[in-house]
Amino acid sequence: MAAVTPSRSAEGSGTPPLDRGSRSEARRSAGGGDPFDLFQIPPAFELDLEELGRRHRELSRALHPDRYVGRPAAERREALGRAIEVNEAWRVLRDPARRAEVLLQRLGVPTGEESNPPARPEFLMEMMERRESLRALGRAGDLAGVEALSEEVRGQERELLRELGEGFRRALETPEAPVPATLSLRLGELRYLRRFFDEADAFLSD
Amino acid sequence: MTLFDIFDPKAPPKPIGIDLGTTHSIVASLRDGRPYALTTCDGTGLLPSVVYYGRGGNVVVGEVAKAHALREPESTIVSVKRFMGRGADDPQTRALGAYKFVEPRTEEEARTVRFDVGDRVVTPVEVSAEILRSLKQSAVDQLTNVGGAVITVPAYFDDAQRQATRDAGRLAGLEVLRLLNEPTAAALAYGLDKRRNGVFVVFDLGGGTFDVTILLLDDGVFQVKSTGGDSALGGDDIDRLIAERMLPVMGFGADESVSPEIVNLVLDAARQAKHALTDRTEVEVQLPARGGDQRVFRLSRAELDEWMQPLMERAGRVCRRALRDAGVGPGEVDGVILVGGSTRVPRVRSYVAELFGREALGDIDPERVVAYGAAIQAELLSKESDEVLLLDVLPLSLGIETMGGGVDKILPRNTTIPAGAKSTFTTYADNQTGFEIHVVQGERELAQDCRSLAKFSLRGIPPMPAGLARLEVEFHVDENNLLHVTARELTTGKVQSVEVKPSYGLSDDEIEDMLIDALEHGEEDLEARRLADARVEAERVLLATTKSLEVDADLLDADERRNVDAAMDALRRALGQGPEGASGAARKASVVQARLDALDDATHAWAGRRMDRAIQRALAGKGVGDVADEVSGAAGVDAHVAAHRRAKDQGARS
Repeated sequence: MAAVTPSRSAEGSGTPPLDRGSRSEARRSAGGGDPFDLFQIPPAFELDLEELGRRHRELSRALHPDRYVGRPAAERREALGRAIEVNEAWRVLRDPARRAEVLLQRLGVPTGEESNPPARPEFLMEMMERRESLRALGRAGDLAGVEALSEEVRGQERELLRELGEGFRRALETPEAPVPATLSLRLGELRYLRRFFDEADAFLSD
Repeated sequence: MTLFDIFDPKAPPKPIGIDLGTTHSIVASLRDGRPYALTTCDGTGLLPSVVYYGRGGNVVVGEVAKAHALREPESTIVSVKRFMGRGADDPQTRALGAYKFVEPRTEEEARTVRFDVGDRVVTPVEVSAEILRSLKQSAVDQLTNVGGAVITVPAYFDDAQRQATRDAGRLAGLEVLRLLNEPTAAALAYGLDKRRNGVFVVFDLGGGTFDVTILLLDDGVFQVKSTGGDSALGGDDIDRLIAERMLPVMGFGADESVSPEIVNLVLDAARQAKHALTDRTEVEVQLPARGGDQRVFRLSRAELDEWMQPLMERAGRVCRRALRDAGVGPGEVDGVILVGGSTRVPRVRSYVAELFGREALGDIDPERVVAYGAAIQAELLSKESDEVLLLDVLPLSLGIETMGGGVDKILPRNTTIPAGAKSTFTTYADNQTGFEIHVVQGERELAQDCRSLAKFSLRGIPPMPAGLARLEVEFHVDENNLLHVTARELTTGKVQSVEVKPSYGLSDDEIEDMLIDALEHGEEDLEARRLADARVEAERVLLATTKSLEVDADLLDADERRNVDAAMDALRRALGQGPEGASGAARKASVVQARLDALDDATHAWAGRRMDRAIQRALAGKGVGDVADEVSGAAGVDAHVAAHRRAKDQGARS
């Protein structure tokens, strides 16, 4: 039985050796259960992050491995597994894009990157231009310019989050009505903005 | 100090905290709830992290070893921490010290640096274990019965460096309760002492490493928001700056290669000059020049400040990134904690003040504050206390190498630990029966620029068309920030064999061999020790299970209860019987272990239900009180200490 080393043997063939399953799928399994259920809060896009943090701390106090140092292995294992679930759920809930994914899943909408509706061409054009300006500013070392451009995009992000909040509120209030496609569309746009911020951060922290 | 230190075999084990530093190491413990540094073999609280390997197996640690550094630099390992977790083929390794490195002959050997110290070859793990052994001996001398140890590591240490540190602890015969990040330890020492709340920055400039950590302190919860650092920036760099300028004065050319003896001599002189400039603005040093003359080297604080500027800017960049990661502005910081001897340097202090717009806190000795925090954490862990909770983070992103040498991040840096993530993969070729997965750690975009942690070979996938097999790889980062990986093939549903090939470090077998070598009677001693460990563990589990039955027996059905009782009885019987002979020890240890495993099986599902109950209680807002009751019921350390004192008083009177 020859174990294949994909990254070497596949070179030049253009076939990706490690075909990651869709991200959302990987994540759904990561947290075990639904993060809203685990934190025992009603599903919503607009969350009180301080209350969320408080719950995270309470759960951590009960489950953190530090509390089980001298305990039997079965208990240590269980506590560790639960503590990991709690931290993962907290990470999902704090992140607007991943929170939106979970909510869409609850509403029965597929959320993988490939099942996204195509983005609006004018949005894509705008993003492309912004990322080009960002790279030009970054390469020129104009950090103030990078900041200013980021601030502009942050404004756009706030607007997106507001729209998502409103959309999810309506969708969750009326579970019998079909989920509007704009939610998935906005989620896709949020992910684009995220990539912009990642790139901007890379310039700012160098 | 106690006048009558009567040996009391029943004295409760005293947990200890160890700061295993680049230049100095410290062991601390708590007395009346206050941390203090134990006296080391040198008679001070600070043990130089220097190990000298003499002829005939003679090993010396500390100040005495330091004296050998000048005369026998190749047999005297200083700053071993810089080599922890490094591979022999790491290009940076050789730049870290003038030692005789053993050329690796195999890939296996290349996983760790090896020093030729004269009549033997040692690894950084073994050298660190010598330091830890010396500290442990000091603790045993002063505390009689030493319990578990918390060992600190720089927050920025990667997985390989952490594994190496834990291995050194094992090798030194310590029960390692936890690897704790140094800045978090420092915050614990400050936060508990002063009962402060708010956003704190820990600025830790040690001999060889720089760490910065942003924490939120909120009524006993120490939540790390972000951490960053540079594992090759420290006070040694300042020494080197000065030394580089001393060499020309001594008559050596700029590119001339200098003998290790001279390197050590000039570094020592540089260090003294640096220390002198802490209190003075100018210093004069006599240097032996080539040909036997003496030359005078003059240095002002202003000059040194200027030379240090690039180092400070490196530290500044790291700080700004950590603030950004934490989402905190420099103006929102409530306090800055200084850690590490190098923060005594005036320019470091003034730079920190400029950066954060405030003077740093300095009321705890920056060289001891980490060990104090470690001692506090050791005590908290031993008590299973719930008054304090440390929520730490993953310092560096974990990822998997993708096609074309990129990195797919599985867990980003600053994720709260313990953390976990799962990823699914599929085959790209028809009838592909194996995968090779390369796990890396770091922030760079290319896998080759990140730290290689391990390669996993997953084999035995049944032949099927491309894209059909589904492989799930699960990553766990535990509370020690150590990575664990498991993999399963989802189509057939069975867990596949995982071959873990850590890219760096020693294998379990190698550690085992070293342990046997370290013991006088080798294997026999090891078996006896294993039996003793199994006994302690068995007694601990029996006690804990009995306690759990008192509270949560209602979560077991009748059958399960019978199984648990039977498994406990079987374990008790295993503890009570059998010969204690040497070969008997091995057999007996395995019997006890098997019974322990059986009890573990019998309580597994129950433990899960108990955790669910703990979650319910925590969220109902009444869990904390309940759990606290449970803990105080299990006589805490204070009660033990009180009992110990009473026993001692009686001993002294009689």
